[in-house]
Amino acid sequence: MEHLSINDAGLPGAPPPGQGPPQQMMQPGPPPPSPVPQLPPQMFTTAAQLLDLTDKKLMVALRDGRKLIGVLRSWDQFGNLVLQDTIERLFVQSLYADIERGLFLVRGENVSLLGEIDLDKDDYIPPPFEQAPVEKVFALKKAEDAERKKTDKRRHTKLAEHGFEGEHSGEAIL
Amino acid sequence: MLFFSFFKTLVNHEVTVELKNDISIRGTLKSVDQYLNIKLDDITVVEELKYPHLSSVKNVFIRGSVVRYVHLPAAAVDTPLLEDATRRGITDSIEIEVRLSQFADASG
Amino acid sequence: MAEVEDTGANPVNEPLDLVRLSLNELVFVKLRGDRELQGRLHAYDSHCNLVLGEVTETIYMVDDEDESENVRTVKKQSEMLFLRGDSVVLISPQQ
Repeated sequence: MEHLSINDAGLPGAPPPGQGPPQQMMQPGPPPPSPVPQLPPQMFTTAAQLLDLTDKKLMVALRDGRKLIGVLRSWDQFGNLVLQDTIERLFVQSLYADIERGLFLVRGENVSLLGEIDLDKDDYIPPPFEQAPVEKVFALKKAEDAERKKTDKRRHTKLAEHGFEGEHSGEAIL
Repeated sequence: MLFFSFFKTLVNHEVTVELKNDISIRGTLKSVDQYLNIKLDDITVVEELKYPHLSSVKNVFIRGSVVRYVHLPAAAVDTPLLEDATRRGITDSIEIEVRLSQFADASG
Repeated sequence: MAEVEDTGANPVNEPLDLVRLSLNELVFVKLRGDRELQGRLHAYDSHCNLVLGEVTETIYMVDDEDESENVRTVKKQSEMLFLRGDSVVLISPQQ
């Protein structure tokens, strides 16, 4: 019942906001009428968030650090994604390389974030990054990853002596 | 549901999301869902050169499970109300939403 | 901090009841990823998601270049912070 009356007060046409200092809102009794039109609840679902991104060119960062660029063609409530015309982009030092990958179904739990690519800045890669042959970038990347694994392990062992626990068991991910 | 309601009241406020892989992304909070997945608009990345893959990205959907922190504007948070809601345990999210959003909006 | 009369009115029946007694009090939170937080607790839920105010974050790091590999700390401040519960190792009332 209480929720009904509050909800009603939030509808358009409610009396003008009688704003008091914030503390006043904490006083017992009915809260003042809401000046805020409530946003429709269907806006706040995973589906609504992904619907906006459908058929857009996206940068998908995976939890293992990989970056995929492709067009989002399908998705479900778990965040599983279908990406079309996907490339994987490797970055190392000041070089990058693209590998053609094609059609992907990515399981949702492996996704870290999705970024909509601004078509005005499409494929803008800030200096000093320059494109290089895949073989070269891949080899450098492999060496860099191996090196990072070593330093992470050292760091992890050292901090474990002080009673700390790493976040992703020694695997650093960018 | 408390934090789902809480984040809904912060829509259109500037926040900084820090991920578990240390990337910090600042932007306007546009949406949140029950898993606390977050959408940010007009993003800027702290230490952009370290994360070149984000330089042509304008808005992001961040999976809730990779979030470490969300830094919030203190002025938009009604702390006594949050404490009250936490103490009582939230059974009615509409109430907290209405009251929290009044505060957040009053703060700009 | 929790007074005797507080616990009388709000008995600690389950672990998170202890956290309830820390609302609007300073807490120490140990996290995964070599981090600790100190701040004023404003909200929590059953996942240990928290909202903290006036937060000091302490990050423990090892200098890689340095052969001695000393542990050093970096401190950061935040006026208001939401913390996702899956990073929490422990929560402790301060003072």
